[in-house]
Amino acid sequence: MVSDAGPARPNIAMWGAPTSGKTTLLAALSIALLQRRSPWRIVGADDASTAFLKDKAAALSRGKEFPRATQAMDRYRWVLIGEGEQRDGLLRRRPKPTPAPRIGLNLLDPPGGVYGDEPDKFGTDQQELLDNLVGSKGIVFLFDPLREFERGDAFDYLYGALTQLAGRMLGSDGYTGDRLPHHLAVCITKFDEYRVLETAKELKLLVTDPEDPYGFPRIDDDDAVELFKWLCRISASGSAEMVLNALDQFFRRDRIKFFVTSSIGFYLDPRTNFFNPDDYQNLIPKPAEGVSFHIRGPVHPINVMEPIVWLGERLAGEPPNEGPGR
Amino acid sequence: MTESGEDLLTKALAEAIAQLSGPRRLTVVEVTVSGITTFGLRRDETGTPRCRFGPPVPWTDLAGDPATDPPEEATEEQVLLAAVGVPPGSEVFLVCGSPDDPPTAQVMEWLRAARPEATAFTRPGARVETLLREILLHEPLCRSYDLVVLKRHPETGRLELSSHPLFLVGARRGDTLRVQVRCDHGDEYGTAFAVVAWQGPRPRLLSVQTARLTPGRYDFTAELERPGRVRFVGLPGLVRDDRDWAELIAAVPAVLGGEVEPAHLICAVEVSGAAKQVDERLIRVRQMITVMSGGTTPELVVSLVAYGAHSYDRRATQEPVEVAGWLMSPEQALHSLTDWERRGATTPGYPYAAQVEDMLAEVADRLGKTEPRRTVLLTVGDRPPHPPRVHRSEILPCPDRHDWELLLAWIERRAGMTLGAICDRPPEQADPIWQRLGGGAPIQLEVADVRRLGDDLGLSPPKAQRIPFPLIETP
Repeated sequence: MVSDAGPARPNIAMWGAPTSGKTTLLAALSIALLQRRSPWRIVGADDASTAFLKDKAAALSRGKEFPRATQAMDRYRWVLIGEGEQRDGLLRRRPKPTPAPRIGLNLLDPPGGVYGDEPDKFGTDQQELLDNLVGSKGIVFLFDPLREFERGDAFDYLYGALTQLAGRMLGSDGYTGDRLPHHLAVCITKFDEYRVLETAKELKLLVTDPEDPYGFPRIDDDDAVELFKWLCRISASGSAEMVLNALDQFFRRDRIKFFVTSSIGFYLDPRTNFFNPDDYQNLIPKPAEGVSFHIRGPVHPINVMEPIVWLGERLAGEPPNEGPGR
Repeated sequence: MTESGEDLLTKALAEAIAQLSGPRRLTVVEVTVSGITTFGLRRDETGTPRCRFGPPVPWTDLAGDPATDPPEEATEEQVLLAAVGVPPGSEVFLVCGSPDDPPTAQVMEWLRAARPEATAFTRPGARVETLLREILLHEPLCRSYDLVVLKRHPETGRLELSSHPLFLVGARRGDTLRVQVRCDHGDEYGTAFAVVAWQGPRPRLLSVQTARLTPGRYDFTAELERPGRVRFVGLPGLVRDDRDWAELIAAVPAVLGGEVEPAHLICAVEVSGAAKQVDERLIRVRQMITVMSGGTTPELVVSLVAYGAHSYDRRATQEPVEVAGWLMSPEQALHSLTDWERRGATTPGYPYAAQVEDMLAEVADRLGKTEPRRTVLLTVGDRPPHPPRVHRSEILPCPDRHDWELLLAWIERRAGMTLGAICDRPPEQADPIWQRLGGGAPIQLEVADVRRLGDDLGLSPPKAQRIPFPLIETP
């Protein structure tokens, strides 16, 4: 646990529709940071957040089950801590050792309906969520393509919240910019799912990192927006195409980056320990239930750390959390 | 020309009758004190001489009594000629049986004058009817006679219509022949003993008699009673049958199915899922084996295969396909089924599919090691198979990468194979594979009529053979 005392630091807010995988992503983040030997560490800012991260990461790595769906507002705060002596990346410009960069990561995990379809039902929670977004300089926005396949409500969910956020920030006299000031990491989740991977394969967006010992397919971040556009096009409602327009309308384009992610990663055949394009699904429905799932094999998060690190690097160079205006 | 003598008349008539063929006709006019009798003779299409005649036409019916009221000659002659009714082109014999009777002699003279080409005989007391009857009775056959039989192709079982020689050309009344045939269940008329006469390549139906015979071998005698009539001695209950040739041929089945080899019934049961459903599936399998092995059915051999659900949980053990027995007797199969019934449903495993592909692999492997025979694969279950690789259904691939489509296609192509299926769901709600597993007609578990399904799959005891002709064994 890290004390909340000390200088204000920039915050990252997790944002996504219900069941888009926010808590799973966070649990996977903690695993990914360990697996990749990243210079970044994630620690809880309070006991509840520390416990949450420990429990969820353990459950995920054991392959038992996903975090339960959120029924009431959960509030968690973590701190991403970089390496102070690090001289590459964002620290390259600094000739002298500096204090370790620290970035707040807040998850206000709301139950469904807080942002969009039932705005009056959770009035207090909604206000808190908006406050969290207003007070953050970075946003991790989770786009669940499967939810889009089946429900197609991403635009409704996003646009409702964005208009409220913009109203709060752009509409106030204190802001002079024409866009929201946040850095936005758009995470296209569930890359491990058949429909997402096969879509990427059809679009010829898959690449393999020769350094990857497992041979997992990946999508370059530069191509992620192509997949995002395509997935929006085939959404159930057809309105998802407007999601990209809405993001363009409210955020600065140079502050948006797309990532294709998977919290659990692909299944690895234990006999080969290498990605098998014929058998990669890592989710299995629970016997005799068929409605909830557990994880088939070891978890190998894909592109989970990168959005956070990207945001961390972008925010580390910015002034402390003095508010997103500019 | 006038000739006399019984032998001479008989000889002449026999010779004239022997010369009959095709459209040729012979007319014999007999003149007696009773009047005029005309006999018309020809051969029918079987080569049998046929004679038609009526009662004598008395003089009074023709022109009154010539003794008491002699008519004008010309008038009398015309009347007589008209009364004789000789068909054009017919050879004519005139026979006067009462030469001592002047009116009769007079009429004979008129006839001879009117038909100078006719062969005339004067023979007191001659009875033409008797003479002709004797001649026809003892005439040698001018065409061979055969018995219509069926022969079975030794490999295909296909029935071929054939004939068995009875009497050759020249055979005479009283000739006999021993015949051995096998008779099966006949049709609604019984077994037909049809005799045909051959003229060139075409047989002509001579006579048909039928008898309702107990299936078995029959050793009987064919006797030529006279030209055109064959009598069978040693066949009980023969009755005349008036069906024509076309009707008889239509009654012949294409394939002889009397010697059906034992069917192999493979029951493949999904034993994962809800306990109640598994119990119900096993009940249907028991019913099928019990019903299909009962009665007079030829032997039934049964194989039992149970398959469940894959487990993709790395901590769980994989339950393989279980073969309780292969090519068992129905009794053994029912005994094995009891163990499964006691055990009930197996561990649930993966909920969206079952090891159908593993079951097909096991069945295909075992079938590949045996000679093709009449086999029914009856699959009883609900879930679809696992695909061999990642699939849009998102059902996880089979751990052993069995490809159900390839396996099923191989099984479908196998000689003698029939597919049947009983699925928990109605066909319109079941996964499409159940259409193929069910040979295009899967039936729903709850409404499964196993007897009818067995009929459809060809498992029922074969109905009694309907073989309308005697069978001759081929070497």
